[in-house]
Order: sequence, then C-alpha cells, then structure tokens
Amino acid sequence: MNMVKLSAVTAAGLSLMLLALPAHAQTEAQKALAGKTVHFLAPSMPQFAALAKFFPEFEEKYGIKVVVDEVPFENYRQKSLVEMQQGTGTYDFFAVDVMWLAEYAAAGFLEPLMPYVKNADLTDADYDIDDFLPRVISGTGVFNDTLYTLPIGAGPVGTTFRADIAEKAGFKLPERFSPEFTTKYMYDAAKKVNNPESNMIGFANIPGRWFWGVTYLPYLFAYQTPETKGDEYVDKDWKITINNERTVASIDYFLSLKEFMPADSANWGIGEATAVYQAGNAFGTWNYQDFVKGFFEDSETQAKVAGKNVHLHTPAGPDGVIDPWFGAWSLGVSKDSKNKEAAWTFMQWVTSKDVQARATQYGAGPSRHSTYKSETLAKYQPWWPGVYDFMLKETNPDERVRVPEWAEISDVMGEEGNRVWIGEIDSKTAAANMEKRMTDAMRKGGYYIPGRSDLPKQQWRDLTYYDRLPSEWN
Amino acid sequence: MSISERTITAPSMALGQRGILSRFGPSNRAVFPWVLMAPTLIILFAIGIYPFLYSLYIASHNVILSKPYLPRIFVGLYQYQALIQDPEFWHALRKTLIFTVQAVFIEFWLGLGLALLFQRQLTGIAFMRVFILIPMILPPLVAALIWRYMFYPGAGLMTYYVGGITRALGFGEIPFLSDPTVAFQTLVFVDVWEWTPFMFLMLSAGLASIPRQPYEAAEIDGAGSWRVFWTITMPLLRPAILIAVIIRTMDAFRTYELIVIMTRGGPGNATTTLNVFLTKTGLEFFDASKAAALSLIMMMIIIVMSFVFIRVFRSKTEVAE
Repeated sequence: MNMVKLSAVTAAGLSLMLLALPAHAQTEAQKALAGKTVHFLAPSMPQFAALAKFFPEFEEKYGIKVVVDEVPFENYRQKSLVEMQQGTGTYDFFAVDVMWLAEYAAAGFLEPLMPYVKNADLTDADYDIDDFLPRVISGTGVFNDTLYTLPIGAGPVGTTFRADIAEKAGFKLPERFSPEFTTKYMYDAAKKVNNPESNMIGFANIPGRWFWGVTYLPYLFAYQTPETKGDEYVDKDWKITINNERTVASIDYFLSLKEFMPADSANWGIGEATAVYQAGNAFGTWNYQDFVKGFFEDSETQAKVAGKNVHLHTPAGPDGVIDPWFGAWSLGVSKDSKNKEAAWTFMQWVTSKDVQARATQYGAGPSRHSTYKSETLAKYQPWWPGVYDFMLKETNPDERVRVPEWAEISDVMGEEGNRVWIGEIDSKTAAANMEKRMTDAMRKGGYYIPGRSDLPKQQWRDLTYYDRLPSEWN
Repeated sequence: MSISERTITAPSMALGQRGILSRFGPSNRAVFPWVLMAPTLIILFAIGIYPFLYSLYIASHNVILSKPYLPRIFVGLYQYQALIQDPEFWHALRKTLIFTVQAVFIEFWLGLGLALLFQRQLTGIAFMRVFILIPMILPPLVAALIWRYMFYPGAGLMTYYVGGITRALGFGEIPFLSDPTVAFQTLVFVDVWEWTPFMFLMLSAGLASIPRQPYEAAEIDGAGSWRVFWTITMPLLRPAILIAVIIRTMDAFRTYELIVIMTRGGPGNATTTLNVFLTKTGLEFFDASKAAALSLIMMMIIIVMSFVFIRVFRSKTEVAE
C-alpha cells in the first residue's frame, strides 16, 4: 500500500517537474524580450482563430504579450496595405495572403526572414525550416529568391459532396484525385440527385461576381489541354490569352451548373452556398481545404452534415487536366516594427513542429512534413493527408498570376462571367470582353512598354523553382 | 530666478500682453474677426480644404498605393481623360443618375403625402409619427444588413412570404437581387423605405411654417383642395422642398453602404454606381490617382446639380411672389 502511495506521489512529482520545465530552453536573447508586447493584424478566419488558442501558452512561456486586431476578410487587404504604407509600425507582424506577397515584398513592407531563421539566439534549435514543404514555403513566402513570410497552412480548393445521398441514389463517389471524377461526372451526379421540390439541389455553386476569381478558376484550368497549360491567362510576353474556345467551354460548363440553382442565386457567394449545404439542402458545393473542418466537419456546429461528407478535388476536364490551385496564409514581420525580434520569436514558436501539429485539432491546416504525418492531423482532420502528394508535386503557387494587376483581372473575370450567368451576354462575348479589359489592365501596368526588361519572371512555367530546400533561400 | 529679475520681468510681460491685445484684440477691427474665426478656419482647412487640395495633387499624378516604388509622375489631366474614355465610368454615372432621380422622386411625393396626412389631427398620430421615423434613425449599414437578410435567397422574410404568394399565383419566385432590373429596383425600394421619413420630416416642418391666412382667404373664395394645394401649399413650401431635395439628392448620389451590402454592384454590373466604382478603383485596385479624379468629378456633378436646383427653385419662387 505504502509502495503504491510512494509511486503515485513520485509520478505526480515527476509530472509536475516535467510540466514546469519548458519544452525548449529559452536563449538569453529570448529571455531579454520578456515584457514586450507585439501587435498582430489578421483577418477573421478559422486558421487564425486556431492560432489564437495558443497565445496564452506563448505569453506564459516567453513573457511576450500578443495583441491581435482581427479585421473582416473583405476589409483586410485595404487595412493591412494602408497600415504598411503609413509605416508607423503599429503592427509588428501581419497575416499575408499568398496573392499579395509579391506586392508587399516589392514595396519593401516586409522584413527578410532568413537572417532570423539562422540566428540561433532567436530561433529554437529544433525549428527545422527544411521540415516545411518546399513548394508551400517558397510559394507562400519567397519573392526574388528571398524568404519574407512563414506559412501557417496551405491547401487546394476542392469540392465536398454528401456520401449518404449518393449512396441512397445508388452510386458511390470516387476517391480524391481519381481520374473518374471529371466535369462530366460531377454534372451527371448532381443531376441524379437534384430535386428542388424536396429541398435538395444538385450543386450549390458560387456565381457571385466577386468570387469568380476563386470559384470559376477550377473550370478554366480543367478545360485546358496539356499543351495549353501555363498559357491560361497570359503568354510568355504577358499578352492576354483568355479569349479562346477553352475559356468559352469552361464558362459554358460553369453556366450548366445553373440548372441546379434556385432562381435567386446570381449573387451567391461562399456564405450562401455553404449555408445551403450546411442546412442539408445541397448534394455538393465548393470548398477550400482550410475551411473543411469549420464549414463541414465540426460535429458541434455542423451537426446536419458532419461525418457524412466526401471531400474531393475539383473535377478534371475533358483532357484530364486538374486545377493546381494553391491557397495559403502566412506571417510576415513588418519592416517598420519596433519589436521585430519579439515578433519573430512568436512567429518561429507558432510555426514550430509542436504547435503546428497541435493547432490542427482546432482546424489549422498543415504546411510541414511532420504535421502532415502527425497523429493529431490524422485524428482531427483525416482529409488532409490525401493532399500531401498534391501539395508536394502538383500545386502551382502562381495558379492565380501573382502580379499587382490580379485584383483587376479577377474583377473583370467576375463581372463578365456573372453577366453571362444572368443572361446579359453569352460566353463568347464574355471571353472577348475579358481579353480586352485584362489587356487594358496590363497595359496600364506597363507590361507592353517596348524594351522593358524588369517584368516579373513567370515561375509557373518551371515549377522546380519552388522545389528548392527552404534553407537555400536568402 | 532672483527677486530683482522678477520685479523687472513682470511689468515687461504686462506691456507685452498689452501689445498683443492692441494688435489682435477687439480694438483692432480689421484683425479681431479673423482671430475669432481662426480655430474654425484651421479645422476647416485641415479637414476640408487640405484634403481637397491634396486630391487635386494626387489626381494630377500617377499614384498607385500598392506600388509605392514607382516614381510619382505629373500627368496633368490624364486621369480625367482616362475616366471620360472609360465605358465603366459612363455606365456607373448612368446608374447613379437613374438611382438618384428615381429614389428622390418617389421619396419626395411619398414624404409630401405623409406630411399632408399627418397635418390632420387624427387619433394615434403622434405615435405613428415616431413609428414612421424609425428607418431614418437606423444607421445605413444596419438598415442594409436587415434588408439583405430580408431578401436572403430562400430564407429571407421577403423571399419567403412574397415568394410564397407569387408561387401560389403561378409566377414563380421574384429574383429580388439576382435579376439586373429587379435588383436595381429593390435597391431603390430600400432607399425609399429608409429616406422617405427624412422628406416627411423636412416637409412637415415646412408645412407647419406656412401661415393660416392664405388658406382662410382661399376658403372664403371657395377654392377646392386641389387648387389650394397647387396655388398655396406648393409655392409656400418651396424653400423646404429645395433644402430637402438638395440634401436627399446629394445623399442618394453618394449611396454606398446599401449597394455594397446588398448587391456589391452586381449582378453583373447592374447596380454599380459611381461610389461603388470609386471604392473599387481606390480601395481594391489601389489606383489613388484615378480614384481622386473620380471623386473630384463626382463633387463637380453634385455642385452643378445643387446649383441647377437652386436656380430653378429660386426663379419659380420669384415668379410666385
């Protein structure tokens, strides 16, 4: 009996000692940062909510306080750009969307990170930057061979379907990345179960004009041939190439999904389509991998659909081409921060192997090899390991061309595409209008100035550029 | 400071104060009004004139906020020329003018009708008056959000009940925010709902200020109510109408929250007004120069419209007098 008591007390004592010990011993330089406060500007999105759960742990460990200002996603770019422009250093680090990196880095708003990564006084010994997937870290954070941001999750867009409804209708949905899942398959499957009278629509699409730059692109890419890959928007001389039969076919396919939609859906965005799916009134819808847990698989908030879904990639087109979509958020230190070292200390901690793996239980996505292979991810988000190979070899960080003109290009696609959806113009006119207006945007950006030699490199034509080991960047 | 220093300094300060008073005080009639106005003028300059001058500067250069590394080149009137040649600008201007004319026209007549109705001493009129003003009290953002959810496809109050009625009648659902024409008229409807109370309030005040004598004279002469309305009420109400219509026209011309929240300029570009176009240019494409030029053009249009209103109303008032 006494032995049992003694063992129990010893075990408890050892556990307390282990808890009291920090996971990694802090360096003197890190200890000196205690008492500082760092300010973080982030959009209100699930992946940042997941990170926020770790702030108290960080504050306790390092004595550095993290103050986060959350801004609605639609206002985030404007707010972050204005803050960076003013150069006041109000925020020490920012959340950066993959689409904005080139703009921010070229403007000198962000601090190069490799000197911090290599600084043993500020970076934990087991940080292991080469544990990040090369294409994820370089696609997210590298501009002109220099690392500016660290990823906190990157993934493809896809589609989500109700497996139980397919089963009732007498068919089984294919596996992710199966060649069987084509645009034709998706249309036929949606048609089979589409029954608006019983409140079940075949596919909750997202035709709102502000979303085409995200939700239509999977079809634009799917309708390419292996020969036209890389020339989806521009050719090697930056001439717009969108006015062609493949674009017309992809718009027509997108339009064919209107058959499953209610009459009043021309302005539907991600919110509307997702809400219909969450209510159990749609067979399929669009998704972004980072949103899967929060939108579809959280058993507490999405009781009607959680556990009943199959998450697939977007469908392959007639020639078997799939969309290499790449979406990611990352963290970058502001050039004007007065607490760069403290901001870095937080960033390296929150993107460490340990925290990244644990964050997946709250819905954060992986960007490290170790996170993809972690038991936590397999347990809480089992749909992620299936995209590991895709994120290693197939994804294209420049699927949306990362030039400052993209916002305008995306807007033009949305407006012209949505006009087709509401029947104002046909798909051929839309493709022609897109080409004209996108060309105007590029001309205004100076892309056609004869003899100009400083145009951006089209890295998507040779994706091996993004496959370097992370530690090899400047 | 020593005692001797203090004794010397005090009279000299008094002399200095007297000097300042004589230079800037009430005795100097040329300068003193400016001294009194100075705080206001400084604030006016800081929040009104300086931004205006800075807008002129930005509009005459090539400033793109997302490309701070580009040199700021003087481009003269290029931004205005680019706008005038831009079909999107003309489309947005047309939409803005149609929206403004429709909304203000309906709001004026509805507001006038309500103001005339509420002149009568009916039971419960005080309560109704407060009730009518509620939409105007709501912040435009909140009002827009409420209506967005009222028109939410499939689940909104309006789509559910009105859709139910139209379905029962065999017309199918009304695409409140999905059809270009219907979406535009839906926005006009919501604007009318929100701002008719303003017209009602302004015109009620105007009606209350009209003296009783002309009406008594008309009654003795046996004039009918229609004739009294057109020959007495309307001419005497003109100053109130002028103010109400000018304020509402300027407001409707600049409508932003309602459109962005409910349709974001869509479907297609059916509800893209100048303000939506301006926001897109300035805060999404970060083309500060084009946005500045556009805002200056919008300001000119509003000034010209106000000027025309004032001239027309003043000339009619003079004729009436």
